[in-house]
Amino acid sequence: MIRRTIAIGKKEFKHLLRDKRLLFVMIFLPIFLLVIFGYAVNFDVKNIQLSVLDKDQSNLSRSFINSISSSNYFYISSYLKNDSEIKYVLDKKEAQVVVVIPSNFSERIEKKKETAQVQFLIDGVDGNAATIIKSYVDIASIKFNQKLQKEIFAKLGVKFEPLISLEPIFWFNPDLQTTKFLIPGLIAMILIIASVISVSLSLVKEKEHGTIEQLNVSSVNSVELLVGKSAPYIVVAFFDALLILFVGYVLFDVVVKGSMILLLIMTLVYILSSVSLGIFISVISTSQQIAFTLATFATLLPSVILSGFVFPIESMPPIVQIITNITPAKFFIVILRSIIIKGVGIEAFWDQLLYLIAFGTLFLIVAVVVYKNDSATA
Amino acid sequence: METILNIIKKEFLQFRRDPKMFGIILVSPIIQLIFLGYAANFDVNIVHTTVYDMDRSEESRNLLNTFESSGYFSFDNYVNNYEDLQEDLETGETIVGIVIPNDYGDKINKRQPVKIQAIFDGSDGNTTSVAAGYVNAIIIEYSQKIFLEVQRKTGKKILSVNPLEAETRVWYNPELKTRNFMVPGIVGLLLMMITLILTSLAVVKEKEIGTLEQLIVTPIKSYQLIIGKLVPFAILGFVSVVIVLGAMTIIFNIHVRGSYFFLFVSSFIYILSTLGLGLFVSTISKTQQQAMMLAIFIVMLPMVYLSGFVFPIENMPKIIQIITYIIPLKYFMIIIRGIILKGIGFAELWQDGLILLLMGMIILYLSSLRFSKRLE
Amino acid sequence: MYSIEVNNLTKKFGKFISVNNISFKVKEGEIFGFLGANGAGKSTTIRMLCGILAPTSGDAIVGGYSVLKHPDEVKLNIGYMSQRFSLYNDLTVEENINFFAGVYGLKGKLLDDRKKWVLKIANLNNKENLLTGSLPGGIKQRLALGTAVIHKPKIVFLDEPTSGVDPISRRGFWELINDLSESGTTVFVTTHYLEEAEFCNNIILIDAGKLIAEGNPKDLKTNYLLNDIIEVECDNAVKAMELLEKENFVEETSIFGNNLHLIVNNFYKDKTQIKLLLSDKNNIRVNRVDKIVPTLEDVFIHLLDNKTND
Repeated sequence: MIRRTIAIGKKEFKHLLRDKRLLFVMIFLPIFLLVIFGYAVNFDVKNIQLSVLDKDQSNLSRSFINSISSSNYFYISSYLKNDSEIKYVLDKKEAQVVVVIPSNFSERIEKKKETAQVQFLIDGVDGNAATIIKSYVDIASIKFNQKLQKEIFAKLGVKFEPLISLEPIFWFNPDLQTTKFLIPGLIAMILIIASVISVSLSLVKEKEHGTIEQLNVSSVNSVELLVGKSAPYIVVAFFDALLILFVGYVLFDVVVKGSMILLLIMTLVYILSSVSLGIFISVISTSQQIAFTLATFATLLPSVILSGFVFPIESMPPIVQIITNITPAKFFIVILRSIIIKGVGIEAFWDQLLYLIAFGTLFLIVAVVVYKNDSATA
Repeated sequence: METILNIIKKEFLQFRRDPKMFGIILVSPIIQLIFLGYAANFDVNIVHTTVYDMDRSEESRNLLNTFESSGYFSFDNYVNNYEDLQEDLETGETIVGIVIPNDYGDKINKRQPVKIQAIFDGSDGNTTSVAAGYVNAIIIEYSQKIFLEVQRKTGKKILSVNPLEAETRVWYNPELKTRNFMVPGIVGLLLMMITLILTSLAVVKEKEIGTLEQLIVTPIKSYQLIIGKLVPFAILGFVSVVIVLGAMTIIFNIHVRGSYFFLFVSSFIYILSTLGLGLFVSTISKTQQQAMMLAIFIVMLPMVYLSGFVFPIENMPKIIQIITYIIPLKYFMIIIRGIILKGIGFAELWQDGLILLLMGMIILYLSSLRFSKRLE
Repeated sequence: MYSIEVNNLTKKFGKFISVNNISFKVKEGEIFGFLGANGAGKSTTIRMLCGILAPTSGDAIVGGYSVLKHPDEVKLNIGYMSQRFSLYNDLTVEENINFFAGVYGLKGKLLDDRKKWVLKIANLNNKENLLTGSLPGGIKQRLALGTAVIHKPKIVFLDEPTSGVDPISRRGFWELINDLSESGTTVFVTTHYLEEAEFCNNIILIDAGKLIAEGNPKDLKTNYLLNDIIEVECDNAVKAMELLEKENFVEETSIFGNNLHLIVNNFYKDKTQIKLLLSDKNNIRVNRVDKIVPTLEDVFIHLLDNKTND
């Protein structure tokens, strides 16, 4: 059993080693992409472009604008002259937020002691960025309010001091960098693509070329065949994983807080379950084209969108939350983040590990059953 | 012309023989759109919270009630020590722990300043920022309210007038739904995937089977072969644009605010470049397997990550921003989001359209050149 | 009249010389055999003659057009069938015929006539709606030949057309080739099967890009093999070969099936020596020692052996 599996594995390895171009694509492109994407993926909302339409032009209005722009988050990209320019700067994406200060701004506050309204117009196209911008704007206004109130109360002889203050503490990722959070997702995605697609194709290829019949009539059984065929890709994917972690450490300071050995074992489990998904696709496909299309649709977008890599799974509707289970990346990302960012051990994610193992086993069993039926009827 | 039609006809006949593939191409985009459309959502609606209330006084309960009644927080767990709080954060069950010190009630009553701790799981910087914003706003407001109450109790009459009132208005997407932002982006991605997969495989497949060799010895000119092979894919791609846009309107209720005509024209321009890239991939690969890996790694993934589809280009380092200029999807994202969400049109978007057109033509031209050379 | 004239044709890939300065002529309507081992430069030569690969130097006139200057005209006048089955498996017989007919611009009555002809020679009458992929190998081969000459080209290039086809289908296929040649089409064919080469009117043999022999099969056998060929039927042919190789009077040895072929200087003088050596000195039973007419295979082995000895 083992010997035949090794024989098939060897043969497949030779194919792979001979196909230098494929080997190159499988090993170096993932690293290259990690480098580029690693720098590209972040949601940090900084340097928000702010356009100012100050109809009041008073000292008070200027001090308000100053208090906003001194917050680091905003920089003033332009000063507008009239209302008609607002639409233009928002349409052309030249501003993400426009602040409109009415002409009676200082008069109402300083003379009439009334509330003055300031308008913030936010480009909501990117709802995520807009939400964060909105909270920055709110906080900037509240702070300015407090400052003014302090002055007012001071005139009344009351010392204004907020009784409750907040001490926010950010664990695991104190600077709230999104990159640290996203890199594990990137690793999971690259690995799943490399393993699922290459494995799903290698078997179908033999089907297309008719060489699979040769293997079927030999004494090799289906488990030996499927395992042997995918073995080299597991090795390559694992090698990829090592390189990726190394690059992540060197370039992106992704320091593994938890146990490195645990991380590697988990990576192997993840690769194995991705490979069984690949085997499954390969068994149900009749041509490379179909296998590829299925593999792409099953891995590429789901591993980005459904895995919790970028979009929080809790925010999805319940049905979609169930569907997220089709990608093993979902489980692996939780594990990776736990080990890398939080530095916790297996007790924090054993359930994810079980899912991952169950996922891999399920697809492998189904694949073997389907394959046996196919070769029996053929 | 007749030669080209002959090739187109052949391609369609082959499609018909392969209904499985045909089904995947036409149906899977819709399924993907639905799942991904519902999934692509950053909205932080509920902040899962653990409460560690050391004080357990009336005052502390009042504060907690304010949090709960804001609607953003769900108190999933009450704990009595830091270890349990830590465990909740480590397993990811909750993302914030609110810690109220045991002298909270006393200090409030004595009108002494008091500190509340909010311990966040910072792993997801994005969600945490939003949650921290909520916590911050509530504390500030609550603190002000208490101050005014206390002042009132001391008999001083103070008008609770806020000098400044910020009125925020969100344009284009007033409910701030990320879905409205993501779905048009997914349309662009799916369109790219379909056309790219089909073309990158089309030529390599004939190469592998050996029919390409047969075609080369016939008097078919390489441009005829290229056009004949690309037109069917362009048509298929176009059909899927219509289907996917229809699904978008019906399922997600996202309506195209701008001109449909301009949307279709720019989709067509965009398809030119994805077809060209597919052709390019197929000329540099020897086997289907190679073609597929290249298609994914050098075309699809950069399109996903560097187009501004999810990750804002403005946030990227300068050098990466420069790379994004060669990503056709970047321009199409701007156009499709502009037309669908902002309702803007040619006047604002002609530059992006023009760049896309030039890019498509250059890519297509270079790939055909490489393709013809390859045939020799 | 010649339908193909090749003059000093050379193709280099970098430093590697694939085809080295070869020249030959092919008469109109003849069956011309183009032989050589794998990698000898056969495919490269055919690709140049079909106008799809430009020669590094030299030229060839195919059907009256230079492959260097007018490759497009060349393509119009030739048919080509490769060793790999080159029809679309996922199209029906008729769709394949229509497609290739369309490629050559066939229309109307001409198209109908040629379609009928192709179906007839492929034995596929009334089966035009079958999927091509489902046809048996021999039939596929005939269909491929039919579509390759659907436009009645003056010249057809067949690159190992019978590889992987059973012997009976092969014989039938050669009858087709004969018919084509009789109707005036020049057939340029490469093959692995040397017994098939005997059916050719003229043959050239190339090795490592160089032309090493040419002529009709009969001339080749007499002109290139001056010595006698002896067939020895004995036990343990391998051992016998080892023994005989050491003898001076034996020039070459090779094993053919269970027998041993020897090239010797003088049959009558050497016959007794062979028997003496094998049966008397080494106890190998010898059944038969005969002088035979050389096959093309004997000739080519002789030629290629001499070359490697050089």
